[in-house]
Amino acid sequence: MVSSNKADVLQGTLILLVLRTLETLGPLHGYGISRRIEQISNEVLQLNQGTLYPALLRMEQEGWIAAKWGASEKNRKARFYSITGAGRRRLAKETEEWRRMSSTIERFLVPDPAGLAEES
Amino acid sequence: MSWTSVVSARLRGLFEHKRPERELDEEVRSHLEMQIEDNLKAGMSPQDARYAALRSFGAIEPMKESYRERRAFSVVETMAHDLRYTARTLRKSPGFTITSVTVLALAIGANTAMFSVLNAVLFRPLPYRSPDQLATLWTEIPSQSVREGRSTYLNAEQWRSQSETFADMAMFDPVSATLTSAGEAVQVSVLRISPNIFSLLGVQPLNGRAFTAQEAEQREHVALISHAFWQSRFGGSPNAVGATVELDGRPSRIIGILPPGLPNLNADFSEPHTLFPGWETLPGPMSANSWFVIGRLRPGVTLEKAQAEMSAIANRLGNRGISVVPFQLTGPRARLALWMLMGAVFCVLIIAATNVAGLSLARGASRGREFAVRAALGASHSRIVRQLLAESLTLAALSGGLGILVALAGIRLILAAQPANLARLNETNLDLRVLSGVLALSMITGVLVGLAPAITLAHRSLRASVQESGRSVSGGVSTRRIRRALVVTEFALAIMLSVGAGLLIRSLRSVENVDPGFRYDRVLLTNLSTTVARADFYERVLEQIESLPGVQSAGVIGDLFIGGNAEQLVTTEGDTRAISEPLRLRRDEVSAGFFKTLGIPLLKGRFFSVDDGPDSPRVAIVNDAMARRLWLGADPVGKRFKLGNLGFTVVGVVGDMRRQSLENEPIPQMFEPLAQNASRRANLLIRTSVDDPLKMVASVQAAVRRVEPRAPVYGVTTLDNRLGAFLTERRFQTSLLIGFSTIALLMAAIGIYGLIQYSIAARTHEIGIRMAIGARAGEIFRMILSEGLKLSLTGLGLGLIGALLLGRAVSSLLFGVTATDPLTFLAVSVLLISVAAAACYFPARRAMKIEPIEALRND
Repeated sequence: MVSSNKADVLQGTLILLVLRTLETLGPLHGYGISRRIEQISNEVLQLNQGTLYPALLRMEQEGWIAAKWGASEKNRKARFYSITGAGRRRLAKETEEWRRMSSTIERFLVPDPAGLAEES
Repeated sequence: MSWTSVVSARLRGLFEHKRPERELDEEVRSHLEMQIEDNLKAGMSPQDARYAALRSFGAIEPMKESYRERRAFSVVETMAHDLRYTARTLRKSPGFTITSVTVLALAIGANTAMFSVLNAVLFRPLPYRSPDQLATLWTEIPSQSVREGRSTYLNAEQWRSQSETFADMAMFDPVSATLTSAGEAVQVSVLRISPNIFSLLGVQPLNGRAFTAQEAEQREHVALISHAFWQSRFGGSPNAVGATVELDGRPSRIIGILPPGLPNLNADFSEPHTLFPGWETLPGPMSANSWFVIGRLRPGVTLEKAQAEMSAIANRLGNRGISVVPFQLTGPRARLALWMLMGAVFCVLIIAATNVAGLSLARGASRGREFAVRAALGASHSRIVRQLLAESLTLAALSGGLGILVALAGIRLILAAQPANLARLNETNLDLRVLSGVLALSMITGVLVGLAPAITLAHRSLRASVQESGRSVSGGVSTRRIRRALVVTEFALAIMLSVGAGLLIRSLRSVENVDPGFRYDRVLLTNLSTTVARADFYERVLEQIESLPGVQSAGVIGDLFIGGNAEQLVTTEGDTRAISEPLRLRRDEVSAGFFKTLGIPLLKGRFFSVDDGPDSPRVAIVNDAMARRLWLGADPVGKRFKLGNLGFTVVGVVGDMRRQSLENEPIPQMFEPLAQNASRRANLLIRTSVDDPLKMVASVQAAVRRVEPRAPVYGVTTLDNRLGAFLTERRFQTSLLIGFSTIALLMAAIGIYGLIQYSIAARTHEIGIRMAIGARAGEIFRMILSEGLKLSLTGLGLGLIGALLLGRAVSSLLFGVTATDPLTFLAVSVLLISVAAAACYFPARRAMKIEPIEALRND
């Protein structure tokens, strides 16, 4: 398969990606969100587009995003999602967590993990 | 399909709606279309573009499945989450939880018990065919203030033959008889019924058959027995049908057994109406008003239409009116009393819920930070309100569950105490209607309790709460306003209930102070019957009893206590001409010693003597009411009057006795000597010299048996107890209402105490500043006290208005006191204000002692 070297999007990070996308681009439909995620990651992140919808529903239920029907640029009927206040707070939290997580993992990956040895 | 998949399909169906499903389809379609379009633009062939789009979307059905699950799950999940959270918060504050649940459970339980009584007595349909088509027909004689009176047989027959709106009418008359069998004689209840009553009510005998119209016409001595009597006397044996018993000395054949649970046909024996003694003379125009009339309306006929027709018939027949009312076993006064108590106990529930709402508001104030933090963490406003409601509904559900237990205990108590003589009271239990009532009550309670904190929350900016979290009590203005409204409500309701209780107490006092017209201390009362009506039986019994040690005197009267009264045509013979008029009149035969035994004063003339024998001219003693009514104040002694074709000469006038109940004005009564008109049954009254007349029962019984070995002596009690029974119902009503209003008052007091306490806590800072700039402790004290009194005065005003309305609604339950009795209103107002003042006094005292430095440092 062509996509063998592409990473599947983890469920947790999907929320972060969607919220970030909506924060920067404003209201967007599901297809737009999936396109954006793929474009930004230079097609590295392979989104199984279908999994997006249950995730969107969950985020809507949590009150992080709001949805309403509208017309796309080509005047096609589509459901537009936008980020809410609660969603922005969530995004901030998710971002912070991601940074902490990735920096922690980064520290494991540097050639000489001297810092870790000293600490223990 | 396995059962699990069936269940899960059902569950999913529960949460699934067509609309979101279609929306998802549409959303997916638009997604795919956009992808295809982009693919085409990138130069793919239409077919490739389509496949690529589907591939990159992934499997659609599993996605839909997880979407659906997500949607269904979320409802359950949030609910479960709310409940878990609720359980945790309630566990964390056990004091609040236990207090609230106890208060609410007691209130819900009391309401449930009361409602199940109403359900059994008023709501549950009667066990007859189409009970809503049944109506009772009463005789009305406005000139003698007879309302809802019994009717004469002749009248009822005329109504029956002339009415178009009624399909049929039946007559019945409850009496009693002596059942004699080998070696013993007992008193049994007998219902004389017209034979059509079975088809009219739609009742079939359980065993055997009903009697026919022909049997009734030929006055055959046949009878049906009640299920209870069948069980107790015949042990449920099928041989009972066909057995012959002796009723009042005549053989009667049992031809059938009635099914159980018939509230009207529950007499031991049901006999043809024609077996009435002296039946041949009874249907005449001068007959007694002894019949209850029940009719079945034709289908589609309303009561109003039937009433209109019966009024027209009454006009045609002349002399008296007819009223048509729904067939009910409970009279209007008892119904009103039940509704009043239900209303009162519901007020208690509202007060209880109000108090718990106050508690939860106070708690809500200290929980402001908790909510603010939750909101900051992403909980939506509606989610927090839902959480609050989940909490109060959980509280209410717990209380409802416990309340059912309280209600079960209450029902057992009611059934054991038998506080009132109400038909079907014994059927009181928890049925589906009561349980749904409990559910509704619990829901109302839950919403009432949760509403106040939810409203407060809606009024408050959550962010502000976080910021003001430095202060210990964060009393929002709206919280205080709502708590004030709650306290005012509690006070208003407490005042209404207290005024109601006060009016009933005053009525009870008035009734207790009514002079019945006779002396009832140390008097033994018993029923006596003999199979053969003989005056000398009573004379010999009295002789035997008066010779007993401890007996001062003894007397006999046909029936001392009387219910409905027969109207009779009385003709007074004036100096010039005779005047006839129908009169509600009570006629009883008495022994010579009766008046002396009860200490009834002789106003004019003489008592009976031995000379008033069976062969001497008929004489009568009349009561004051009859003397005033018929001879308008002139001396009636020596005057003559006629009852039907029987002539009497008045020999004496005695004082009035209240014999219907203590609350009814004495009606005209006449007495004749036992020797001139002996009956089979009579009341025996024995004035003793012992403090407890009941100690004499055995010797009295022995004395009677010495005269007639098988004579039944039954229903022994003291006259004092018997009169007390008139008061039982009123005492019970009054004590219930006193209980309810006391609870209401206490809760109102607690409510205002809590509010003042809370308001001082919220204003500690302000009070500190006031004191620091020179306010004296007394001023602070007055400031706090006036805040509390202002609230209670508002409550008082509203409550007095409510009490006026309540008093008017229940005025028919009052006796010897007006619904606007100033003394009651004043006393209740003073009481309530004192309670409110006391409830404010202690927190106000504490406020005086606030140290300005401490208060300001608190910040």
